Amino acid sequence: MLVQIAWRNIWRNKTRSFVVIGSIVVGLWASIFILAFAWGLYKNNIDESVNRHLSHIQVHHPEFTDQQESKYAIQNADSILSVLKIDDRVQSASMRTIVKGMITSPTTVSGVTIYGISPNAEIKQIGLNQNLIQGDYFTSGKDNEIFIGEKLAKKLKIKLRSKVVLTFTDIGSSIVSGAFRVGGIYRSKNLSLDEVNVYVQKQSLDNLLGLQHSESNELAILLKDESALDSYITYVRQLMPNQKVEDWKDLAPDLELVIESFNLYTYIISGIILLALTFGIVNTMLMSVLERIRELGMLMAIGLNKRKIFFMIMLETLFLTLLGCPVGLLVGWLSVLVLGTFGINIAIFSEGLASYGFSSIIYPALDGQIYWIVAIMCLITALLSAIYPAYRALQLNPAESIRKI
Amino acid sequence: MGKTIIDAHNVSKTYKETAVPVRALQDVHLHIEEGEFVALVGPSGSGKSTLLNMIGGLDEPTSGTVYVDGVEITKLPENKLIDFRLQNIGFVFQSFNLIPVLTSRENIGFVLQLQKVSKKDREKRVLELLREVDLEEKIDSRPGELSGGQQQRVAVARALASKPKIILADEPTANLDSKSASNLLDIMAKLNKEEKITFLFSTHDQRVIEKARRVITLVDGKVDSDVNQKPT
Ligand SMILES: Nc1ncnc2c1ncn2[C@@H]1O[C@H](COP(=O)(O)OP(=O)(O)O)[C@@H](O)[C@H]1O
Ligand SMILES: [Mg+2]
Repeated sequence: MLVQIAWRNIWRNKTRSFVVIGSIVVGLWASIFILAFAWGLYKNNIDESVNRHLSHIQVHHPEFTDQQESKYAIQNADSILSVLKIDDRVQSASMRTIVKGMITSPTTVSGVTIYGISPNAEIKQIGLNQNLIQGDYFTSGKDNEIFIGEKLAKKLKIKLRSKVVLTFTDIGSSIVSGAFRVGGIYRSKNLSLDEVNVYVQKQSLDNLLGLQHSESNELAILLKDESALDSYITYVRQLMPNQKVEDWKDLAPDLELVIESFNLYTYIISGIILLALTFGIVNTMLMSVLERIRELGMLMAIGLNKRKIFFMIMLETLFLTLLGCPVGLLVGWLSVLVLGTFGINIAIFSEGLASYGFSSIIYPALDGQIYWIVAIMCLITALLSAIYPAYRALQLNPAESIRKI
Repeated sequence: MGKTIIDAHNVSKTYKETAVPVRALQDVHLHIEEGEFVALVGPSGSGKSTLLNMIGGLDEPTSGTVYVDGVEITKLPENKLIDFRLQNIGFVFQSFNLIPVLTSRENIGFVLQLQKVSKKDREKRVLELLREVDLEEKIDSRPGELSGGQQQRVAVARALASKPKIILADEPTANLDSKSASNLLDIMAKLNKEEKITFLFSTHDQRVIEKARRVITLVDGKVDSDVNQKPT
């Protein structure tokens, strides 16, 4: 019967109950939305980095990572690559020759990382073809084409079809240089990389370096599904026990940190919103207790013990929360669903964000588990907030409460 | 001489929370036997409510002892006192007697449930009790849908639910018109006579006082007079 009384009590002051329910709904919705947006932002950044830049798995000669010298190459990379590609977990795989060097224009010199790539294989990985703002993607048939970022082009004051010279050390440690012509200018989502990464055909670079075409400094493997990463990386390690096999988390520990810190943000953001909720609930429930002093006094007089009074007030709060939570979850889930499909255009800020590798359309997304965490936190907060008002009810002395009649 | 049901010795109560301590009761002695129908009268502020609260165990005296049906309730710990109240004492207050969200049936049923009466017996008892106060037709009305007099009658029925030996009523008629007041008193008198329930009620309504068989007058926290009379 206490349950029934508590349930009916919440409908005595409908406005007040709706305020509590409403703040729970808004609190939940806001938490969910902010978290989904933040996650969308990070995910966007991570996906971009993984898909366009890192790939899921990279394989290098063990010395290459430290020394960054092209002579540390993986032998028979081409045949290994064809083995890797057969696996149906693999989306695409490519091999690259990488060397650090200088690019020289008629006016300026700049340090660059030169990637020797296989144009066809990289369509699915680096995706340079999609990012070109000028020129065509390796279509001239000439092997001295170079593709540079817009930012670098500005710095070097060069245009499409301009001539540049690349200078670097070959595998025999002598300095070599080669003349290239700008075949295209690109702009990726990561402006800081645009300034240093330049792309040429692998054969041309191999020839200058003195590497075999079968050799390669980097094997990059993009999987169809991230979830296959752990099993697949084990397989790759068995296949190439002498090489250094790393996944994207090893390659960019900062990205993994982003994910970990995101979990922390989950709690901090929800915590702040829920704190606001706490004030609302404490206030409202306290008001409802103080309004009912005489009635509570009467209940104590007719034989309701303190435990039952406490339980009744807690139940009232629980009911309000249970009414608010599903609605808040639903509204949150729906808005994430809708905005996750259409995206939120943050073009106004994207200039700044793009330099950090963010794109201008954010697709909010949230792991199902986070919904439950937020909802449970909300429930716990509501119940904790009810403790003080319920405790105040216990402090009432029946005689004095009734005297107020 | 009948069995003693209420026995108060040297009961004093001083409210110290106020700026100036208020001596609400001073050395009150009170002896009431089973089946009595007693009115507690006196001007406002004379200590009637305070005395009823001491007897009902809703508050503790500053000094003195109160026995109800042989139990020294002034010594009972809080939780035992609640149970004792539930089993032995029925309360009727001036107003706010009923749980506003419950119907008459549920208000009475709730007290029965607190006493762990089975659902089947509850239904039967509720009907019986409402019949006693002549309000069967209001069984499914909430307090808000009842007149003041009807609410007080449901309150009496609710007070009776636990089959208490005594009913303490603090100005039960204060908010009622004279017709409802005398109707309520008639019901109380009938219960007193037929069920042998002891009634102790405070009032300052002359017509109500006339219905009592014993009238105790308090003045400034002391018993001023204690007379037996023939009720009208
Ligand atoms: N809780 C309380 N705190 C302080 N003073 C009180 C309290 N309850 C009653 N009093 C005082 O005690 C005196 C007796 O009050 P009360 O028993 O209510 O009288 P009555 O019911 O006869 O009008 C009054 O002076 C009243 O102001
Ligand atoms: Mg009074």
